[in-house]
Amino acid sequence: MTLLATRGLTKRFGGLCAVDGVDLELGDREILGVIGPNGAGKTTLFSLIAGSIRPTSGEIVLDGHRVTGLPAHRSVRAGIVRTHQIVRPFGTLTVFENVLVAAMHLSRTATGHARDRAAEVLEFVGLSDRQGHYPATLTLAGRKRLELARALSTGPRVLLLDEVVAGINPTEALALTALIRRVRDERGISVIMTEHVMPAVMSLSDRIFVLDRGKPIARGTPQEVVANPLVVTAYLGTSAGEGAGP
Amino acid sequence: MIVRSPSWIWRRVDLALLAGCVVLAVLPVVLEPSAYTHNQLTFLFLTSAGALAWNWLGGFVGQVSFGHAAMFGVGGFVAARLMLSLHLPAPLGWLGGAVVAGGFALGAHPLLRLRGPYFSIATIGVGEASRLGFTYWESFTGGSSGLSLAIDGDLQYQLYWWALALAAAVAAASLAIRRSSLGLKLLAIKADADAAADVGISATFYQDLICVLSGAVVGLTGGLYASYQSFIEPTDMFGFERSITFVLMAVIGGVGTPLGALLGAVVFVLVRIYLLASYPDLYLGLYGVLLILIILFEPLGLTGLARRGLRWVRRAPAPPGAAS
Repeated sequence: MTLLATRGLTKRFGGLCAVDGVDLELGDREILGVIGPNGAGKTTLFSLIAGSIRPTSGEIVLDGHRVTGLPAHRSVRAGIVRTHQIVRPFGTLTVFENVLVAAMHLSRTATGHARDRAAEVLEFVGLSDRQGHYPATLTLAGRKRLELARALSTGPRVLLLDEVVAGINPTEALALTALIRRVRDERGISVIMTEHVMPAVMSLSDRIFVLDRGKPIARGTPQEVVANPLVVTAYLGTSAGEGAGP
Repeated sequence: MIVRSPSWIWRRVDLALLAGCVVLAVLPVVLEPSAYTHNQLTFLFLTSAGALAWNWLGGFVGQVSFGHAAMFGVGGFVAARLMLSLHLPAPLGWLGGAVVAGGFALGAHPLLRLRGPYFSIATIGVGEASRLGFTYWESFTGGSSGLSLAIDGDLQYQLYWWALALAAAVAAASLAIRRSSLGLKLLAIKADADAAADVGISATFYQDLICVLSGAVVGLTGGLYASYQSFIEPTDMFGFERSITFVLMAVIGGVGTPLGALLGAVVFVLVRIYLLASYPDLYLGLYGVLLILIILFEPLGLTGLARRGLRWVRRAPAPPGAAS
């Protein structure tokens, strides 16, 4: 069953086509990895789906409803939430409040309910013992967990993770990878993730979607994708004298 | 920069505020101060209310407005017009002024997508345009010669309590906003408007809301000020100096803190009383010095200083011989 789909999603910045006619399907309880070289348009694709920017053309459908061009705060209410590659915690709010404020839009009348959910989510990501602290006191891995907790407490159906594993040490990366799997298994949330850390994305993803210069060039299981010559070329280039493909 | 206090401070702030209001409410009856003191206190309450309401937008949301005189002026002139032309009783006039000023503030909607210094610069433009517009709209504002209201001695005397009630209500509302879920959302928007949108908080909606509320209260203050002065003219009501005054009081008192503007207003009125008459130039110079010192050393102004003091007192060891 398809939960989220994009059809011919395109974003032009002047003459540059950052995302070019992307058709993407995300199944219910699926983890979809989006990979591609730097500048392939991964983050732009995320920004489009999350409503941070409006597409030039194409559409986004969530569970049969068009959500194309909804502003970010309404996309969140529809059930699509994103995290940022460079974490953006609210510095003047405590860890708990960071998560609480994200839980509020669901239960505008019952703050008590929002508090319960925030506490539960903090427990889930393993930040309960830091809830009274300010984000600046957390390690980078801690702040990535906070970013994840904040997104989860909005009660999403689709979670867009922009390079959550990048930039932290291998032990933390493994723990975070396990956490993302639990997000899907225990909370039933579908995930689209971009990642440069290949072990993480290969082990987590049910399917992989490869972007290069805004265009989808390959899709399939992780094994199929790494064996695809187009993907190898996009990442590593071709040696002199060799053709650009099979 | 952490702009909030721990809960043990809150309870004392509530009590101090309540006690202060009670004392000030009975003061004229018990002590029977001179008309001069009575008037200066009324002026202090009005100034406080305006500065506190400015802080909702400038402090809570972090959109520093240099154009709030526009709402002050609109509130004042609409109130005066309602009283002069329609012969409405003063409180209804003030209310009408507040409503129109709130609507006028909504005109800032396109500006609110700007952030930081860009927003501030744009508000200077709006403030100055309003001043010129209303100065030339002679049939409404009386132009440069302004409007004179009938002088009503009883109202002048009662204005003390009206102004006190307004200041108290605005102070209580400031505390309530800061402690509510709305306050948390505003802090989030101030910290990062885009990240706030990514967790379902519409920065546009809440900025508009706070801008209207802040504008309406400043307009209400303008209406009471019109009755207080009995004579208003556009250059004074809409002047850039008035806009600057709101900013100064909030910054001196502690921008973004719920009651800092109150402290700022007290300092402002005191300095004004003691220096304006004898050394009008020194008066502005002193503000300049104060502003530089605060921005350099204590971004949370007097509130920041007070908190440091409180923490220092709390951490200080108990004097020998004191009960443990």
